[in-house]
Formats: sequence, structure tokens, C-alpha cells
Amino acid sequence: MKLRVQLQCKNLHEYLRELSPEILDRLYNHPATCLAVYRELPCLAKNYVMRMLFLDQPLPQAALALWVKKDSQKDHDECVSVLAGLRLWHSQQLQGGLQGYILNPVFKENLRIALLGGGKAWADEGSSLGPDRHARDIKSLDRYAMERWEVILQFMVGSPSSAVSQDLAQLLVQAGLMKSEAGEAPYITSAGFQFLLLDTASQLWYFTLQYLKTAQSRGMDLVEILSFLFQLSFSTLGRDYSVEGMSESLLTFLQHLREFGLVFQRKRKSRRYYPTRLAITLAAGVTTGSSTSSSSSSNLASLPGTGDEGFIVVETNYRIYAYTNSELQIALVALFSEMLYRFPNVVVAQVTRESVQQAIANGITAQQIIHFLRTRAHSVMLKQTPVLPPAITDQIRLWELERDRLQFTEGVLYNQFLSQADFEVLRDRAQCSAETVCYSSIELVVLQGLDCLVWQDVAHRVMVVTPQGHSEVKRFWKRQKSHT
Amino acid sequence: MASENEIILLVIVVDVNPIWWGQQAQREPEFTLSKCLDAVMVMGNSHMAMARTNKLAVIASHCQDSHFLFPIKTWNAGDNGDDAPSSGDGKYELLSAANNLIAEEIKTVMSKTEVRGNSTDTLLAGSLAKALCYIHRVSKELEVGQEMKSRILVIKAAEDCALQYMNFMNVIFAAQKQNILIDACVLDSDSGLLQQACDITGGLYLKIPQKLALAQYLLWVFLPDSDQRSQLVLPPPAHVDYRAACFCHRNLIEIGYVCSVCLSIFCNFSPICTTCETAFKIQLPQMVKPKKKKVKQAM
Amino acid sequence: MVNVHKGVLVECDPAMKQFLLYLDETMALGKKFILKDLDDTHLFILVEVVHTLQERVGELMDQNSFPVTQK
Repeated sequence: MKLRVQLQCKNLHEYLRELSPEILDRLYNHPATCLAVYRELPCLAKNYVMRMLFLDQPLPQAALALWVKKDSQKDHDECVSVLAGLRLWHSQQLQGGLQGYILNPVFKENLRIALLGGGKAWADEGSSLGPDRHARDIKSLDRYAMERWEVILQFMVGSPSSAVSQDLAQLLVQAGLMKSEAGEAPYITSAGFQFLLLDTASQLWYFTLQYLKTAQSRGMDLVEILSFLFQLSFSTLGRDYSVEGMSESLLTFLQHLREFGLVFQRKRKSRRYYPTRLAITLAAGVTTGSSTSSSSSSNLASLPGTGDEGFIVVETNYRIYAYTNSELQIALVALFSEMLYRFPNVVVAQVTRESVQQAIANGITAQQIIHFLRTRAHSVMLKQTPVLPPAITDQIRLWELERDRLQFTEGVLYNQFLSQADFEVLRDRAQCSAETVCYSSIELVVLQGLDCLVWQDVAHRVMVVTPQGHSEVKRFWKRQKSHT
Repeated sequence: MASENEIILLVIVVDVNPIWWGQQAQREPEFTLSKCLDAVMVMGNSHMAMARTNKLAVIASHCQDSHFLFPIKTWNAGDNGDDAPSSGDGKYELLSAANNLIAEEIKTVMSKTEVRGNSTDTLLAGSLAKALCYIHRVSKELEVGQEMKSRILVIKAAEDCALQYMNFMNVIFAAQKQNILIDACVLDSDSGLLQQACDITGGLYLKIPQKLALAQYLLWVFLPDSDQRSQLVLPPPAHVDYRAACFCHRNLIEIGYVCSVCLSIFCNFSPICTTCETAFKIQLPQMVKPKKKKVKQAM
Repeated sequence: MVNVHKGVLVECDPAMKQFLLYLDETMALGKKFILKDLDDTHLFILVEVVHTLQERVGELMDQNSFPVTQK
């Protein structure tokens, strides 16, 4: 009985692997996507690609296996499967009958272009429009991007001053971050709380994934959007680009990006746009994306210059000092702590058992709280290792574990078997791994296990199966009895 | 996976000695300095493409000075919009900006030089020192919580210069102390100094058999950073020439005299050490060579 | 003959199991709720008590915890 909903955030690989082969192949038609995909490969695989980038012949698999030392064989196998899974290379028969690998020609061609030039330009540069009279400098772009993004977060926590477009509100609902009952204003869900605690880069990536999920239903071309998104992430900050030659659906996409704060466009009809730091660091969230599940809390995910710098100091006496006056940030800290004092530039809060348990009851995990504190740690905190006092992080984890002292699994108990054989037959039926061959007078049936066994005790002839499996097991038992 | 806050800085030091490259152009017209620089750019681009946090610097080592090709003072990452026209093709903007800059700078370096008489050696030790200084500066500018791994890749063309022995060794030990790898890719004749540098700092030394394939050698051997090198099978360490240069005539010697106080090396005996000015008392009655100061410089 | 019960399998540490046994014996929830004592770390209980049981365990933890912070 899982009571909580964990916010799952896939990284780029997991996302790409779910796409169909045709879409993948089309994606590699753009140098930007090739570069983005390349960057997300495991380090060893990156070197493989580089070594093969300028080879036109397939490389024998045996030769490839000699590239790594014996004790790194596991990493090698992983790289081979990742590269094959993303269709970056495929095996090909060599002349001597040996199996060889060759890079996906489209990918190879476009990665070469991204590295060395050639091909046609990614996007029209603003230069064709002449200098912009309303040019923006980097600082104002940063401010703009942060403002836009904060508005979305503010909207999520339901602050009355922020309003977002219908499209965006709908997207938040579809992403499961907010819920809306007919006619009422949407309100935040437990997944939404978890979302708020992520760092900006991960938030952005999660949000983008959700957007992509619904993109096709909006009649947009996934490949076109993804290529554009990656292209944006490789563009230069503070430079203007022209919308010339963009398709209708891409222009709609641009308007959405404008609302998220990924691009700056002075007016809706403006012929030029500026990518903001959010767009450029989008790819950074790609790797940190899985941080909710893994313990990779070492990411310095606060984006430099976005006003998202660390402001939290945690002391071993369970006090949190948050140097901020942003209502949003204070609200976030208050999600898992008790507010003590409030000053113009700082709030003091205390982490207590009650406050943490309250947060956990809201669906936030200890890992997420720690990650939040870690990624927003003040620069003074960053100088020490570990960044957060272990006493605090351990205690937060312990408080979470307190709730998990009992584990409940619904099930159906079978006991009082007459013979050991009866028990074993039924158990094997319920179990997944054992494939039992059942000889009966009438038929020879190879039974697939039902995979519904929860628990068993051979000595006492007791077993527990899931309620779903119960009817099947019961039917089997009846039939079994009638045969014998 | 490399974490987001680890920066890998690669400093490429290219030997652009005009005399050697001039001779090379006559010997082998198909492999010239511009070909070499192309290979360097491929290497640099590949390095920068690997991760967002990877950084690059390129230094040209000339016979009169060392010159930063990239980055230069006026260049500012993210703000090259003023005059750098991007190549107008499918290359990643950052890379094309960097490449344009390198090409531009090498042109100025090569055009303004006039080789004057006696100094024809590449100032490699100076360039390496510059690289170390640059690495130090970058590491000072890191934000808190960020870590940096750095390595230096030397692309060596001309002969070794024994005159630079002292400076060179100082640079090597400084690099070792800072945990900076020195890799060497040697185009022509083996270099004893670089062999020692690579051996001491844990870098790779490779004398490439085919100059034309320089880019491929660079990508194949020198692109992986230290983490992946432990996983990959790479060329075995070369035999290292550990001869030292004497302090008096800068000759490479295998056996010599070592001052018992400051450990300076001399190829022939002198009663006063020129480095620390220690006077050695010699027992005059014995006409044999004074044994006191005779130490063998081991292989 | 095989006997079948519907219920919930509880997995917990031995100390926790003793607490559950105590609740069962003292009829703290108004009735016996343990259907079968399986082993040191497993019990089979009635479905309907799960929620109250969690509350009881929460209360126990509350009693056993001391404020780590001073106000």
C-alpha cells in the first residue's frame, strides 16, 4: 500500500529511449540534437564516439573490446548497450564474416558538422535584421527569465497576484502538479510540492518533459520542437536570433517558451528573440533530472546569475536561516520547518520532528528536503564538507524512517496444507521463477508462474499471495484437486 | 557521469617554431603548421563538446615569446556578438567563435615575428609556466563548491633545448605539486625533457609515427581525461631518458659532479659551487681526483 | 484442508511486532486483529485495522521521541 506519489523525473536518455526508432532517426538530422545527445552519454561512450567519428569503415567488435582494460569490462558493456539503445551505432557484418560496429551515418554526419562546420546554419541570426534598437543586455535577460519562472511557481502556490495563461494552467494540471475541480481555481498537489523543492534546472527539465508529452496532442511535431529546444540550449546568451523561416507550430512553441521565460521577445509580433539563461541551462537539468530518485545531491544546480544563488544556512541546532525576502522561497522553507522569526532580509526557522513529519505526510520525501537545502545552501555553507551538517540530514532521514516501521501488503493467506507436496505445487504455481511442468492424465501444460507470491514459509506450509492472484490460484487448486 | 560542478581545463601548448615548421614545409609539404593547427582545433572542439563545463586554452610557443591564442583578454564567453560573424554553417557557435579567434591570433603571431640570429629554440618552458599560471588563475576564479581538473597537452615539433633544463624541471615539479598532468605528443624527434615531464606528472608521452594522422592520434589517445584513462587501454609508457643537464654548460650528462650542499650538477670539477658558493676543501697531497664530490647520476 | 484468509501481511522489526502483539492481547483496538503470527518479522492481520494501527504506532513514536531542539 504505497501511500505516497513519488515525482519521477526522467533524464534525457530515459526519455529518448522511449521514443520510436523513426523519431530518433529524424532527431539526429539536426547538429544541435546530436551534440546534446552526445553530451549526455557516459564519459566512456563519448570517447568511443570520438574515436569512431572519422572512421568510414565498421570496426570489428573484437577490436572494440580491446579498447578497455579487463576490470572495466562492465562499463564497456554499458556503453555498448547505451549506444545501441539510442541507435547511435549498429552492428554490421564485416567482409570476413566478423561482426562490427558502425556509427549511425546521420548522427555521424551531423556531429561532425556541429564540431567542424559545414552544412547549413542552424537558425537565422538577428544580424540579418540589423542591430536591435531595443537590445537587451545579459543582466536584464536574467532578470526577465527569473521573473517569468517565479510567476509560474507563485501561481502554483496560489498567490493571488500571479496569473498565467489558460494554456499554462492546463499544462500544470496535465502534469499532475496541480488539480482543478470544475469551475474552481486549480490547487497544488503533492507532486506539485515536490516539484517546488527541486532546483530550477530540474524543474525546467521536468516541465519540458511534460510539455513534450502533450506536444503531439497539440498537433506539434515532436522532432521539430526538440531540435529547436536543443538549438536554443546551444545558443549564445545576449544575442538576438530571427524568427525568419520558422513554421507556424514552431512560432506557437516560441510563444509558450516566451511565457516560461526561456526566450525574450519584446512583442508578440517581434521578428527577433533572445534566448535566456534558462533556455541555455536547460540541458543542465537533463543530467540533474534524476535527482529525486538518486542520491546525487552534489550537483551545484543553482544557476549562476539567475538570482537563484544559495541563501540558506543550516546549523547543527536544527535552525535554518534563510537570507531571502522572496515570499515564494519562504513558503518553500515553511513546507518542512517551523517559522520562528522574520526580519526584512532573513527568516529563521527550525526543523522539528513535527514539521518534517507534516511534510512527509504531504508527500515530500526526506531526500527532497535535503536536496532542497543542499542546492540552496549559502556560499558559506558550500565551503564545508559535507555541505549540510550530517546530524541534521541523518535526523531528517530517521524521522522519515519512523513512519516506515510497518509495511503493509494486502494479501490472501493459505495455510493448513495437508501435505508438503500440495503446498509446493501451489507455491510454485504462484511463484514467478519456477516454471513447473505439470503432468496430468489428460494434458501436458507448461505453466507460467503467476508472480503473485508475497511471502512463504515452507516449514509451516504457509503462503501469502496477492489479492489479484488469489482467484487464479484458487481455480488452479480446484482443478488440481479434481485431477488427483 | 561527470558531475556538473567538475570543470576540466585543457591547455594545449603548440610548438610554432617558425624555423622548424619552415624546414618541415620543405621536407613534407603535405603536413604544415596550418594542418597541425587544424588538428589542434579538432581536438579543442571535441574537448569543449564533451561537456558544458569543459574549458580550453591554447598557447602558441614561439622562439621569442609565448602567446595565448585562446582565450585572449578581450574575448568574453557569451559575449562575442559584436564582430565575430559566425561561420554561417552548422557549427556550434561557441566552437566557431573559438576557432575563428585561434586562426586570427596565429596569423598575428606569425606575421609579426622576425627571427633574430641566435635564439632559435622554442621557449617551451616559458609556455608551460604560462599555462600553469593560467590554470592557477582559473582555479582561483572558481565558484565555491566547484572543482577543477586540469591538464596540459604539449604538441612538440622542434628539438629539445638543454639551456631550458632548469626552468623546465621547475615547471614540471610545480605541475606535479598542483596535480596537473602534462601530456606530450611529439611530432619529430624524442624529447628527453618531455619524457620526464610526462613520467613525473603521470601524463602520456607519445611520439607519433605518422604526422598526417595527428588529429586522430589526439582524439584517440589524448582526449580521454584521467578518469577514463584508467579504464582504457592506452600506449605503454615510453622509455624515459633521465639524463640531467649540467649547470655549467647545459650539456646532458649521465655521470657528473654533484654539490653536496645544494645538489647542483656539474660536468667537470670546480672548487667552488657556482650555485651556492660552497668552497670544497681538497686534500692536496692526494693527486687523485677528490672523491668527496664525485657522485654518480644514476640512470 | 487448505484454509484461506483475506487480510494484510505486515512486515516489521521484532520490537514492533511485540508492540502489535501487546495491542492484540490487551484488545486495545476493541478486538483481536491478528489472524496469524507468521514469524519474527511477519504478521497477518485484518484489513480494517490498518489505519488505526498506523495511528497507534504514530502515537507510540510520539511518546518515545524527545524534542531535539530548544526553543
